[in-house]
Amino acid sequence: MNLYTRMIVVLTVVGLISGACLSVVGLLTRERIELNRQKEIEEAIGTVVPGTKSYSAAVEEKDLTVYKAKGEQDNLIGYAVYARGTGFQDIITLMFGTDPDLDKINSLTILEQKETPGLGAKITDGQAFLQFWEDREINQGLTLRKPAVDTKEELASSEVNTITGATISSQKVLDIVNFSLEQVRSLKNQGKLEGED
Amino acid sequence: MPAKSIGQEYMKGLWAENPVFRQLLGMCPTLAVTNAVINGIAMGLATSFVLILSSLVVASIKKLIPNQVRIASYIVIIATFVTIADRFMAAFFPPISKALGPYVPLIVVNCIILGRQEAFASKNSVGRSLVDAMGMSTGFILALLLLSSIRELLGAGTFLGYQVLGEWFKPWIIMILPAGAFITLGILLGLALFIEMKTQRGRA
Repeated sequence: MNLYTRMIVVLTVVGLISGACLSVVGLLTRERIELNRQKEIEEAIGTVVPGTKSYSAAVEEKDLTVYKAKGEQDNLIGYAVYARGTGFQDIITLMFGTDPDLDKINSLTILEQKETPGLGAKITDGQAFLQFWEDREINQGLTLRKPAVDTKEELASSEVNTITGATISSQKVLDIVNFSLEQVRSLKNQGKLEGED
Repeated sequence: MPAKSIGQEYMKGLWAENPVFRQLLGMCPTLAVTNAVINGIAMGLATSFVLILSSLVVASIKKLIPNQVRIASYIVIIATFVTIADRFMAAFFPPISKALGPYVPLIVVNCIILGRQEAFASKNSVGRSLVDAMGMSTGFILALLLLSSIRELLGAGTFLGYQVLGEWFKPWIIMILPAGAFITLGILLGLALFIEMKTQRGRA
């Protein structure tokens, strides 16, 4: 075999073998990865709308999914909104829960983010960030409190706290929430949230 | 090259040819992920997995690969192991996979791995390559551990997430930022060189 054929054959074989290995690994892990994702969403819905017994997706769009969360008597107890948007570094995926009238946010949870470790990544930290998102009034839209305050009591009911040193990440999370809230509101006004039951 | 015993082959990765402090390889992950000890350890382990398995495969098939396409072949082999590690962690250890995020796929471009294939595994027996890869892995993990301990301690006052330094300590935020990585690495490199010079003089 001359050199050129050998080069082509070796590279092809190496590529084929590794491709085969990867497709096997992909097949073996795909289900579990999808399952992990489902479980994560399920857990997140339970966190942001406490007392959820069952849920169903009312609207599914590219960067926005609205889940209807139902309580024991199969009554609507709130919406869990799954949203994606640009962060400081990369896409941030988050979920927040509202009451059925869209008057307030119960709480917020971050599902995926790649913000600066140690700074922006604190958006996943309950103590530093998420606790300041509990029970916020959203009728007027949320605003960011700058500079940051230490306790929740110092915030107005429609304010959320900034992370010191990570203003942009904090602002981006707020933007994603405000933007998706607007969309959810207009969907609700169009009656699209009640439609599919 | 004078023949080394298996023990020496392993030990050289720890100090004499430490990938971070002596060869200055794999600087990107070294600088990027050492802001917390847990990230450093996880990165070290994932890199070791890829390095050891790639060395094994490359050492076993080295005679089949024509010289002209060796780099391409090595990269395909390395990338395969990295992807396996990435998928495996995403499937079975979702929390760890989440914490490491983009760092795992970046192992492909870690120079230590390609460097060892090129400098060692492609010229030595399977057994020696395995020992060499294990030594280099240990050296890399130790270096990451050292760097991340210093940075997490000064940058957050914690070690593995536990508060170590008291209330009086004001974290130096710069230490968990890229600048802190360069400062720490620079000082450690200087220190390593200093120790090396001192011991060399002692021997001579």
